[in-house]
Amino acid sequence: MLKVFISIGRYVILMQRVFTKPQKTTIFRKQLFNEFEHLGIESLGIVAFISVFMGAVVAIQTAYNIDSPLIPMSMVGFTVRQSVILEFSPTVISLILAGKVGSRIASEIGTMRVTEQIDALEIMGVNSANYLIFPKVVASILINPVLIVFSMWLGILGGWVAMVATGLVTTSDFISGIRIDFEGYTIFYALTKTLFFAFIISSVSGFYGYETQGGALEVGQASTKAVVVSSILIILFNLVLTQLLLT
Amino acid sequence: MIEARQLNKYFGEHHVLKEVSCNFEKGRTNLIIGQSGSGKTVLMKCLVGLFEVDSGIVIYDGRNFTEMDFENRKTLRQEIGMLFQGGALYDSMNVEENVMFPLNMFTSKTKEEKLERVNFVLKRVNLDNVNFLMPSELSGGMRKRVAIARAISMNPQYLFCDEPNSGLDPQTSGVIDHLIQEITVEYGITTIVNTHDMNSVLSIGDSVAFIYNGELWWRGNKEEILHTENTELNTFVFGTELTSRLKK
Repeated sequence: MLKVFISIGRYVILMQRVFTKPQKTTIFRKQLFNEFEHLGIESLGIVAFISVFMGAVVAIQTAYNIDSPLIPMSMVGFTVRQSVILEFSPTVISLILAGKVGSRIASEIGTMRVTEQIDALEIMGVNSANYLIFPKVVASILINPVLIVFSMWLGILGGWVAMVATGLVTTSDFISGIRIDFEGYTIFYALTKTLFFAFIISSVSGFYGYETQGGALEVGQASTKAVVVSSILIILFNLVLTQLLLT
Repeated sequence: MIEARQLNKYFGEHHVLKEVSCNFEKGRTNLIIGQSGSGKTVLMKCLVGLFEVDSGIVIYDGRNFTEMDFENRKTLRQEIGMLFQGGALYDSMNVEENVMFPLNMFTSKTKEEKLERVNFVLKRVNLDNVNFLMPSELSGGMRKRVAIARAISMNPQYLFCDEPNSGLDPQTSGVIDHLIQEITVEYGITTIVNTHDMNSVLSIGDSVAFIYNGELWWRGNKEEILHTENTELNTFVFGTELTSRLKK
């Protein structure tokens, strides 16, 4: 238990160093665009793949489980929309990103630590925590909502494609289901969660990478820890934010 | 000149540096030697502030480094160049970007001026036409030379070299040693080299500090080291088959 408190303390101290003004704005801007590419654009493929199949599976399962003639088939579209927007896209895709992006951040920074590249930055007078972690946090916070909106759209598209392909629900039923009782607040709720999750993924992974001591083995361990802790925190914050935002 | 006064460093219960006091003079290659685990790397990291000392002070030309706040240290560090054991080149940048990095961070020079400086320092370390190579494409000796070029790109007043010859063949080691010495004399830098390579000691050891079990055990130069009666130092210096035969 003591270790947990020590880690939290070290995380807070590190974040104080991370959230300072970048030493050179031009360099920060360049890094930010690099991170958009590494953390965002390079994740598009996996996000698209998972979202389409996730939406399709939700649609098929819902369609097969509606066996009462009193329930209209448009409920399939409604269920897909609600599931994808409220939970699957913001939470499941964030968990996937915790694995993909989190391990990348932790291993990249961890390798820089064990090969003394971070020491080299410090010796030059560079605030290494700010230089390495801040652009990743900012990029994640800006790009993850874009990825999640993309995922929502593809998830619903996947559901529709599955229904049309299997002939279980007609396009008009599916679309009318998507439109039933739509509240814009659900998007706000999903994107608010996404912002929290993006911060958790990038800052926690940056912390574990930065704190790495040792060699290749420890870099691997840091990477695993980053993914596990980020995933646990995403699940915990999901519960807390849902309670706060939907009640 | 860099002065270390009564430095003590603990890792938990382990007393790694014990009352180490030592001066490192300007325009000379000051060597710190000792067995692995003797505390020489810790001493160097304490001198540059990568480790905080538990007691004692480090003075850079009259400026008390130990008591400086983060901002003042940041300013002073722009006068420091350091060559790390593995080079510590940034993997995501090519040679030119690596050498240009401190210039980008801390100067407001134009792109042309920075490029001119980069090419000058690369030429100074005898590297041509490598600007666009990535660190992974360089040999060990080339990586060290690029790291030296990066370390001197900002015209440092102080140069620290941690095991500059590790992993290099004797011939390349000699090239790196002489390069460090030439740069030291040419620019009047205070250079501190951490090594356990006796070839380096005998070729560039203007001033040698022997660290034994965390204590400053002996001070002298490359001539005196061969004739000392100090038992621990003799064990270290003549510890190999080759050196013991040469002594005989």
